[in-house]
Amino acid sequence: MLEIARKALDHAAATGADQAEAFANNTRSTRIRVYRQEVEELASSTGSGVGIRVFRGDTAGFAYTSDLSDSALAATARAASDNAAINAGDRFMGLPRPSESFPELDLYSEKLGATPLAGKIELVKKLEKTALDRDSRISQVDSATYAEGEGEVGIANSLGFSRQFKENTCYAFLQAIAEADGQMQTGMSFTTGRDPDQLEAAACGREAADRALALLGGAQCESMNCAVVMDPFVASSLIGVIGSVLTGESVQKKRSMFAGLVGQQVANGIFTLTDDGIHPDGLASAPFDGEGVPMGETALIKGGVLQGYLYDTYTARKDGCESTGNGVRGSYRSQPHVGATNLRLLGGATPPVEMIASVDKGFYVMEVSGIHSGANPVSGDFSVGASGLLIRGGQLAEPVREVVIAGNLMTILKNINMVGDDKRWVPFGGSIQAPSLLIGEMTVSGK
Amino acid sequence: MLLDQDLAQKVIGEALKRGGDFAEIYAERSRSNTLSLEDSRIERSATGLDAGASIRVTRGRAISFVSTDSLEEGSLLEAARLAGDGLAGGGVVMSQLSLIEHPSPHIIEVAPVKVAALDKAAMLLAADEAARGAGSEIVQVSVSFSDDVSEIMIANSEGTLAGEERTRVRLSARAVGSREGIIQTGSDSMGAHRGMELFRDRKPEDVGLVAAQKALTMLDSKPSPSGKMTVIMHRGFGGVLFHEACGHGLEADSIEKGASVFAGRIGEQVASSLVTLVDDGSIPGEWGSNAFDDEGVPTQRTLLIEEGRLAGFMYDGLRARNLGAVSTGNGRRQSFRHPPIPRMTNTFIIAGTSKPEEIIAATRHGFYAKTLSGGQVEPASGDFVFGVSEGYLIENGRVTSPLRGATLIGNGLTALNNIDMVADDFEMHIGVCGKDGQGVPAGSGQPTLRMLDMTVGGTEV
Repeated sequence: MLEIARKALDHAAATGADQAEAFANNTRSTRIRVYRQEVEELASSTGSGVGIRVFRGDTAGFAYTSDLSDSALAATARAASDNAAINAGDRFMGLPRPSESFPELDLYSEKLGATPLAGKIELVKKLEKTALDRDSRISQVDSATYAEGEGEVGIANSLGFSRQFKENTCYAFLQAIAEADGQMQTGMSFTTGRDPDQLEAAACGREAADRALALLGGAQCESMNCAVVMDPFVASSLIGVIGSVLTGESVQKKRSMFAGLVGQQVANGIFTLTDDGIHPDGLASAPFDGEGVPMGETALIKGGVLQGYLYDTYTARKDGCESTGNGVRGSYRSQPHVGATNLRLLGGATPPVEMIASVDKGFYVMEVSGIHSGANPVSGDFSVGASGLLIRGGQLAEPVREVVIAGNLMTILKNINMVGDDKRWVPFGGSIQAPSLLIGEMTVSGK
Repeated sequence: MLLDQDLAQKVIGEALKRGGDFAEIYAERSRSNTLSLEDSRIERSATGLDAGASIRVTRGRAISFVSTDSLEEGSLLEAARLAGDGLAGGGVVMSQLSLIEHPSPHIIEVAPVKVAALDKAAMLLAADEAARGAGSEIVQVSVSFSDDVSEIMIANSEGTLAGEERTRVRLSARAVGSREGIIQTGSDSMGAHRGMELFRDRKPEDVGLVAAQKALTMLDSKPSPSGKMTVIMHRGFGGVLFHEACGHGLEADSIEKGASVFAGRIGEQVASSLVTLVDDGSIPGEWGSNAFDDEGVPTQRTLLIEEGRLAGFMYDGLRARNLGAVSTGNGRRQSFRHPPIPRMTNTFIIAGTSKPEEIIAATRHGFYAKTLSGGQVEPASGDFVFGVSEGYLIENGRVTSPLRGATLIGNGLTALNNIDMVADDFEMHIGVCGKDGQGVPAGSGQPTLRMLDMTVGGTEV
């Protein structure tokens, strides 16, 4: 990939650029879906391309191509240069100074490619079968899936940066459907790793079935203000929302409720959140970000006190600080933007059973929906659909569905009274490691 | 045609060598431009060139799919071999390809490439200026624009050969208003399967202005109450709710698996008799329209619910074959990197006979949902939740205070049955629908209508 990046960089330099950068990547991915113990879909794709950024004076322009012929690279470099002429810019625009040292990470398992396809198919069948065998009320499993991907990233820029790395990941997930008395409920689970040996198919299948079964027979409860326990799936959604506005960009653009609060208490003292771009188990880990800046660990909230924000090169220069290695880039088709890598909620000592036991009347939330529309990290409004179980006298009670839980995000953060000891990685909506959380009070709207 | 006909024939033949009862090649070359504005300046502009193809082989219910970022003969034949390897046994003989003559009804007057990038940038700046001009409490405005021109070609072992060029343009604006620590946002967008002439019908300034006015209105809002209420859904936006909560359950893949509340109920009364729900991918120039679907079947108008009775489902080729039905031209994919699945195109409830004012006047106490901010649905049960970005209280037959932080929660079937008034003021709304990790342009629409007994979740008990 580095060779293509360098070739593209030459074309970019030929446009008369002041600075230029080429980001090339290739991917190979495979997905297997099983339905009723038969392979329903086997899909694979290969792709590669290059994205070129051309800097002219204070402005930058971008273009990408999946066609790697010389003529396409030249046309793409010209398009990037033309785009630089349209964009407004400022003195903060530019490439990062190449760093000398980079973290050593093991992001590639040889076993992934070495495992035969048949073994991967068996894994998905096991995933589906475990869920189906769990209980007669599990009527079917929708989308029992195994997916894997591997790729190489190479970046070359006109300041002399020229490096590449390769990584692979795989995961499996399913949605179990439980049916009884004309009602259907789904339960989801997943397992992730860098090769199939790291996936726990049986536990995953059981969990999906158990989650669907737990919610079966759910009905609306009365509207009330009460304590809410979020399981790690739900807590990770909350953390994802919080993380999205802990970036230099959202603060600079007045899109963050955390603007101007560095050094202040923004959450309960037991709340500590970090962005860890080099954690061995984090699927977003890499030696360097989409601009070639070394990745690392950035403290965001420590003991409830806001420590700082995440930065890429541009937003860091604007704030007069250093990039935190958070210039995230999905593929050659996108430009770098500030974003979280692996968000981790640290600490947490309370077993979830103790959390539940401490609640006289409350709601144990297992699923939230509408998080993108219902959570507004600018204003702090938070109002999402939820299902789960009632808590009565410190015990889990009957299932609840079709209710809304609501509150203000800042108040919720301050009301996190207990952090669980059950943290786990949740790969949806980012790579997030979250435990169960007890929130002192929220509004539950039902009947 | 994007690929030579003989090459397409050869690739399909190669894919079928090892068995399979159907094979297809889908090739695509697209060029897109995006521009985005924030802080009153063009911050990002990008140009993209994507080209590639995918080969799909099916046998019974099983699919083998391979995509490649290349249109070279060698890569295509290699992909065909790989796809064929995925399915052994079976085997059909390929039919001679024959071109389906179906000229695109979507007229492009001004191709995006004919408008200079600086002129596109001027549209974003004009929208920004209009939004900021709406009031001093507007503190931030973002505007984005995209144009996308893609040439596609489809050929399959049944002899289908089809192709078209698709042009889409879209502009959207989001405004942030702030007053004494309260922050509210408003947004609006426009888009079509048309060229730059779209912006003659409606100016970008108007999109910016509408977004700003929504944000300003919501600054006056008070926290929404909670509980069961009568909900009036303003024309346009509410179509998204029916798209999510009912439309997905009418797509043939969920019917095939019995994972839909509509499965096996054709002919039954599933909604209020005031409801007629239609999917139509053939409407000229509409956002979710194409000449063909992504399997080479001409798009059509499909009746889904007729006066409350379940009338039909949306099929792609594979599910139609499995279920003994005929494709309704709803096989869609995000790009050549994705296999086609049954998807909505433009889905809407057709106009009724009431006047919107009558509906409001007939409501003593209720909630008026003017703009929805998006939502989510649990596909098996049809349970949905939608955020309301612009909502109002209805008191004694009049729309009164704006309400913030409200969420609509309910069940698709129940909502369809609880519709008791439908107005004559139909409007479409554009969006991008996500399913199985694929996003496709989808239109949805509805006239102003009233639903009884809907749960509104707010922050006040």
